[in-house]
Amino acid sequence: MRTFLTTAGIALGVAVLFASLSAGATVDSAVDRAAADEIGRADLRVSALEEGGLTAATLQSISQIAGVAVAAPALERKTYLAASLSQTASAKLPPPVTVLGIDPVLEPKLHDMPLTRGHLLADGDAHSALITQTLADEEGLGLGDSVTLSGTREVGPQAYSVVGIVVGNGTLPEADGRLVIITLPAAQALFGVEGVTRVDLGAARGTSVDELIGQLEQGLKTQPYLLSRASDLADTLRSEMADFRGALLLVAAVVLFAGAFLIFNTLSMTVAELTREVGLLRAAGTTRSQVMRLILLQALALGVVGSLIGVAAGIGLASVALFSVRSAGSIVFAGPSFSIASVLMTLFVGIMLTLAAALEPAWRAGRIPPVEALRRGPPGAAAGAARLRWLVVVFAVLAVGALVFWPNGSGGSSGGSLLSSVGGSGTWGPPFVFGLLLLTVLLVPRLLGPLVGVGGIPFRIFRNEERLARSALTRDKSRTTLTAGALVVGVAMIVALGTAAQDVRKIGANWLTETVPGSELLTSIRPVLASDPIQAELAAKPGVKSVSPIGLFGVGYLMTTQVDGRPSTSIVRQEAAAIVGADYLADGRLTFVEGDRTTALTALGSTGSVIVPESVAGPASIHLNDTLEFATGSTVTKLRCVGIVQRSIPAQSQEAMLIGWADAPTFGVTGADFFAIRYQPDMEATARPAVDADAISYALEPNQLDRVSGTVGDALDRIFRLLDALALIAVLVAGLGMVNTFSMSVLERVREIGVLRATGMTSGQVWGMVVIEAGILGIVGSSIGAVVGMVVGILLVGWSSGGFGFAFDPPWLSIALAFAFGILISVTASIYPAGLASRYSIVRALQHE
Amino acid sequence: MHTLPRWAARGLLFVPSNDYTARVAMQQPPITPNTSRPTVPLPVRPAGNGLILEARNLTKRYRLGNRDVDALRGVSLRVRRGEFVALMGPSGSGKSTLLQLLGGLDRPTDGEVVLDGEVISHLSDSQATRLRREKTGFVFQFFNLIPLLDVYENVALPFTIAGVDPRRGEAAARINAVLELVDLKGRERNRPDQLSAGEQQRVALARALVGRPAILLADEPTGNLDYATGGEILDELWRSCDEMGQTIVLVTHDARAAAHADRVLVVGDGRIRDEIELGRRTNRDAGPLIARLAQLGL
Repeated sequence: MRTFLTTAGIALGVAVLFASLSAGATVDSAVDRAAADEIGRADLRVSALEEGGLTAATLQSISQIAGVAVAAPALERKTYLAASLSQTASAKLPPPVTVLGIDPVLEPKLHDMPLTRGHLLADGDAHSALITQTLADEEGLGLGDSVTLSGTREVGPQAYSVVGIVVGNGTLPEADGRLVIITLPAAQALFGVEGVTRVDLGAARGTSVDELIGQLEQGLKTQPYLLSRASDLADTLRSEMADFRGALLLVAAVVLFAGAFLIFNTLSMTVAELTREVGLLRAAGTTRSQVMRLILLQALALGVVGSLIGVAAGIGLASVALFSVRSAGSIVFAGPSFSIASVLMTLFVGIMLTLAAALEPAWRAGRIPPVEALRRGPPGAAAGAARLRWLVVVFAVLAVGALVFWPNGSGGSSGGSLLSSVGGSGTWGPPFVFGLLLLTVLLVPRLLGPLVGVGGIPFRIFRNEERLARSALTRDKSRTTLTAGALVVGVAMIVALGTAAQDVRKIGANWLTETVPGSELLTSIRPVLASDPIQAELAAKPGVKSVSPIGLFGVGYLMTTQVDGRPSTSIVRQEAAAIVGADYLADGRLTFVEGDRTTALTALGSTGSVIVPESVAGPASIHLNDTLEFATGSTVTKLRCVGIVQRSIPAQSQEAMLIGWADAPTFGVTGADFFAIRYQPDMEATARPAVDADAISYALEPNQLDRVSGTVGDALDRIFRLLDALALIAVLVAGLGMVNTFSMSVLERVREIGVLRATGMTSGQVWGMVVIEAGILGIVGSSIGAVVGMVVGILLVGWSSGGFGFAFDPPWLSIALAFAFGILISVTASIYPAGLASRYSIVRALQHE
Repeated sequence: MHTLPRWAARGLLFVPSNDYTARVAMQQPPITPNTSRPTVPLPVRPAGNGLILEARNLTKRYRLGNRDVDALRGVSLRVRRGEFVALMGPSGSGKSTLLQLLGGLDRPTDGEVVLDGEVISHLSDSQATRLRREKTGFVFQFFNLIPLLDVYENVALPFTIAGVDPRRGEAAARINAVLELVDLKGRERNRPDQLSAGEQQRVALARALVGRPAILLADEPTGNLDYATGGEILDELWRSCDEMGQTIVLVTHDARAAAHADRVLVVGDGRIRDEIELGRRTNRDAGPLIARLAQLGL
């Protein structure tokens, strides 16, 4: 029984580790695939930094650069299928499609475009389109059908004939399968633009990529641009996923940690039980090292079997986990991938951990003196309580394992990344969390008496059983600590994740409320030009107080740093937002940490000013009144920093610098990406329907602010739920340890139970005694776990937000659930041992040695 | 005069079982049989007034591997209220099994036990538990105290198990009285591991007596104690019987312990082989019993 439970404990821990490694590998391969899909056979990609894209002049310069064999330009934009917009009755717009405008001659030289049916686009074919199989299935389209795309207001909807169906989701991962490919001129006409989003380059034979980069840097001076290789793209995607992988591994390590308690406890109990036998062996001439080897061999066998089962279970767990997450950002996961290396590594860690946990019990067994063979009654001190400080050894092995497995560059790499809160803070974060958990567990024996007393209060109604249960728990404090320890770790992780999730969600919600001047957002998938009458039309609706256009775009910030004592300037891509400063003046939104609020916001009404978020200002050493330089086309635009705000509009990967609309055209911004609507007091409910209907007819998607943050929350929830599920496994491992401990505790007390039964205790009372024991342990473990979990949660949130935005608001519901689950697991774990205890024959119990 | 039964030749009784018995046996001159008593008493005394415990034709059969073992083969006995009865016999004779059946710890294969007018041998588990709680008290060889409860809590167990607050009212009074009886006043807060073996057994005795059971069943209560301490426990058992009228059934293979009893039943091979009436005596010396046992060829 004990062997089974320990093996199961090891197996569960190893399974989670393997699953997380395998999920990591899957993420890697998905990233590689996504990067390969995206960049194809191109050696380099030149992307536009500015909103207007790369101009024809830039294209011209690129194709003239020596060493460029192929330069394939493309324009990428989102729009709606015109058919979708006619369904105005629907309160929600259907998902948009991504339109990729390509050069039909050049594009196939760098990108494969396998078709299931039909043929590729022909040069100059302005009325044909390729669609993906996914879009064809979703929209019921086939070869020869017409697909109508919504264009600019001037162009209106344009129909294209489907001439080919691209296999699967197509080549653009972020399109999520809804991809329409048309010729570049057709796309430029549809969206009313002249530029292109990117140019993929194929190097000429004999030209290396580095040489090509050198050539580009020298020859391309017309406008700022971004250069990336396939590997850069994969790295970027991978670093985005690092937090997710880090979080997975952290939880796996926690489960293994809980498993280590189980192994340590089991082997300790085994040694205590074998004391007399070991004494006999020692009396018969067995050496200490032989005894140690005996125990270590036993552990090795358990470790090998448990780890093998764990790897098998891990495969299943990985499949379930990946299926439940399905995707992260633009990366869609396929089935889990496994490698021999990961199998071997997992086996190695599982076995090493088991051996580490077995060291102390083995050492203790070696110290058992031969005289124990002759002793009656309980084992002597040498074989007695486990020495908890040896847990530090187990911890060290885990730490070494973690260093081996930890994904590089994880944690805090992306300031705005919400998941980084779980990934921890750099490399010292996770060990610190473990250290805290370990320290807490090591402190438990000192507090056990009072804690057990408090834990017993709910059971005082059963005075006798409660008193006996308490005495059983304080009998071997080390064992109780080890048993509770696993529970503490599991519950702490659930609570910590809950705290982090809640805070992250709250920060997200507060963030939007603080930085968006209105209570509703109308989002557009493409810029709405200032000339578009929609803004005036919306503002004229009854009940609407203001319509504030906001445009998001990238800017090339010229950052000057000191390299070898000399100033060196590089272009850094920053995200920016064009806003109407006056709209922020009306209510208290945007919190200024430097600069005067009114002056700064008013300054945005004219040209030459920028407001910088603290998260950007800090690292870039930007101060009030500094002049910031931006690369715009072939010139430099200078803006003065008129204020630094605590937080700003969240853009794709960072907080946006705020620029007035007057400056926006300089950066190539053509229009607003969303409108923030502010209603007259108490008019929102009545005014909203008309505004929403109007918005939808213009292909604007109405979203209430709380719904926007809710969408962010939903995506997060999916990932947090997975992490929660893994943390639950830690509690489950703790449960296995408890079955083990309670069974052992019952076996040790058989004679006592016999006496109690002989004295008149009913079998029900004996059952109750063991279950109450579990209940008390559950309360103690869960309480400590909840408290430590909150502390860990606060730390995680603190690290992720750089100490900002944290308000102590414990997620009471998840704490209550974790607490209840901890007690439930504990009580469930006691059912079998309690049954065992209550069914003992009194006569046999009294004869038990 | 008895002839030596063959079963006794294998038994421990034939050889004095410990130092004390041996010494007493050497010191005491053999005594002549008391002709005023029947030399061969009936194994089962006629029913009389004040009968508290009666066993009728008890059989207990165990399965050992693939064979049946008869631990008891039709034992009948009667115990009067306030009587001190000792069950003697060698190891494996069935005396402990008999005690377990008499106390309702186990069920007989056949036959029945009547305790205080109630047939207890076929009660359900919960009924048997109630009966044990209300009518019996047990003392065991290995004390069997609950290690993490203090003296007071150990003695109070029968009350706490029954849901009675042992710190108040009559329960508290009875616990204090019984602690006084076993001379453990002032040691209430001590844990078992802070007590000597004799003190631990006195706690066990107090625990058995505190509920004022109809019958106290003691299984080798001195088996794990030294000579002097064992003597103290036996004296306390005797006093509880003599002063409080406590009915006691004592299992022992020690003639000195059995000498405290009013009557000794000799168990062997799963049957009552002999009965020796000693009567209530204040000096409780083992000489007469040993002489009798010797006389009986035991």
